[in-house]
Amino acid sequence: MQTLRTIPAWTWGLLAAVALAGLSFVLGEFQLILASQMLIAGLFAMSLNIIMGFGGMVHFGHAAFYGLGAYTVAILAKNYNIPLWVALPLAPVVSAALGAVVGWFCVRRVRLYFSILTLAFGQILYVIVLSVAADFTGGDNGIHGIPVPEIISSARNYYLFTLLIFTLCFVALFIITKAPFVLTLRAIRENAERAQFIGVDVRRHQLTTFIIGSFFAGIAGGLMAILNRFVGPDMLFWTTSSEPILGSLMGGMFSLTGPAVGAALLLGLHLFISQYTEFWPTVLGILTIIVVLAAPTGLVGLTDDLPRAARSAE
Amino acid sequence: MDTFVIQLLGGLSKGMILFVLASGLSLIFGVMRVINFAHGSLYMLGAFLAATVGAQFLGMGPSGFFLMLLLVPLIVALVGIVMETTLFRRIYTKEHLLQLLLTYGLTLLLSDVVRMIWGGEYRTLRQPDFLRGGFEIVGRKFPIYGLFVLIIGPLLALGLWYLLNRTRWGRIIRAAVANPDMVSALGINVRLVMTGVFALGCFLAGLGGALVAGQSAVGLGMDVNIIVEAFAVVVVGGLGSFGGALLGALLIGIILSFGILVWPGGAQLLPFAAMALVLIARPWGLLGRPER
Repeated sequence: MQTLRTIPAWTWGLLAAVALAGLSFVLGEFQLILASQMLIAGLFAMSLNIIMGFGGMVHFGHAAFYGLGAYTVAILAKNYNIPLWVALPLAPVVSAALGAVVGWFCVRRVRLYFSILTLAFGQILYVIVLSVAADFTGGDNGIHGIPVPEIISSARNYYLFTLLIFTLCFVALFIITKAPFVLTLRAIRENAERAQFIGVDVRRHQLTTFIIGSFFAGIAGGLMAILNRFVGPDMLFWTTSSEPILGSLMGGMFSLTGPAVGAALLLGLHLFISQYTEFWPTVLGILTIIVVLAAPTGLVGLTDDLPRAARSAE
Repeated sequence: MDTFVIQLLGGLSKGMILFVLASGLSLIFGVMRVINFAHGSLYMLGAFLAATVGAQFLGMGPSGFFLMLLLVPLIVALVGIVMETTLFRRIYTKEHLLQLLLTYGLTLLLSDVVRMIWGGEYRTLRQPDFLRGGFEIVGRKFPIYGLFVLIIGPLLALGLWYLLNRTRWGRIIRAAVANPDMVSALGINVRLVMTGVFALGCFLAGLGGALVAGQSAVGLGMDVNIIVEAFAVVVVGGLGSFGGALLGALLIGIILSFGILVWPGGAQLLPFAAMALVLIARPWGLLGRPER
């Protein structure tokens, strides 16, 4: 193990990226689409976990920012014929901008009150997309037939494109989580009051985290819109927010990669289980209950595990 | 003027159903400090049960209908007792993320169980003869069933108020809200109190479902939609406050009823806007008290 430890993290990352890219030559079309979905779900989960795992804020409205990214791409590309190369980069910008507004209010509330306030804002954005702005969003029907450039229209090319974006996002998030900023964030998560006393601007740090998370959720949503060539209001509904939360729970909330792995595995498990039974929600529900009850000391006890988690993250 | 009266009655009637549901949610939160996502699932379970077994009781006239309104919530309460003793009990002291996720896992499970048993089709409960049709008021027609809900709601509120404020049981419950450790030290089985409160809360969820089945179509998905509205009610009124649940429910009901008239596209948005506004300006709600 000691020799493995000496290999720098970026080498492992590069190896993983190359291996994932190599997969594109092995997998069939169906598997490539699934693999793309897994990468997107992974990115969505990582974006949530920056807020929930690293920031300690349980966010129940994150789907709204994912959906906003998706609708940004869909509306610009379909309704206004704006090229995807312009529309996709705008998705995270829109999500981050709204994240800044919503986050500004939300970080002023703590714990349970934060969670239900994010839930309320998420539902507000959901209803806006569903009915208030139905002229732009297609209401209940969503937007079909999003035009996709020739070069990324095949399943293989789109998988490689998604992998490229995913890798860039991963690197960006990796750098963020290594920055002193995240250490401060951890201090806030453990004890916000104490952090405040030593002069940390708690709300500013939490708001920045909220915006970063919204930004990357927007990218994930934009990628999903292109993959499906379709967006629907359910992408913003509060139950969609549970998907990255459950992914993070299963994969481990106190690492960068854990949530991505967890979310991808859940997606794979969904597909696998669906071959045998149509009652996937039952399986997911039972799995969730088991994980929650089996979590040894609960997440409150994470303080004891933190030094170890911090070490293994290096 | 006539439109105003009809919308007001409709809003109050919708509010009463929300009150029945939200009072259970608020009661459970008040004692156990758990926000229960699965509360909406129990409401849906009650609605499906009522839509299925309700027809059997119709032949018995009014008493049959009232029997159904008692029986269905009792079954739901029984499900609640099983949930409380096997699952909820383990997470009262845990972090709120784990509590939310446990109840969300139950939501997934319960809605799927309902789908397993009843399938995805919409159902309706045929209204009993004595509640069918409408009556004239200010020159317009208002459904008798709506009036029935308008009468049941306040009666129930009064009953619950009496239970909480004028009985020994109520005193114990209120004491458990204020200081569970002290209640326990006085030799009262707090565990039993909690199970009892949870069962009562679930009874109310089931009753809300059974009542709504006579009013609108029963289908999958009603659980996740109603629960966020119920959250809006308890947040606006004040988490854990019984009077707040009543005030919040009537407000949200009226807001929805008039909202549809004024702004059809955005009416659904208003409960959540009210919820966000209250959380921002006065997080303990209109009638709640700031947390210690």
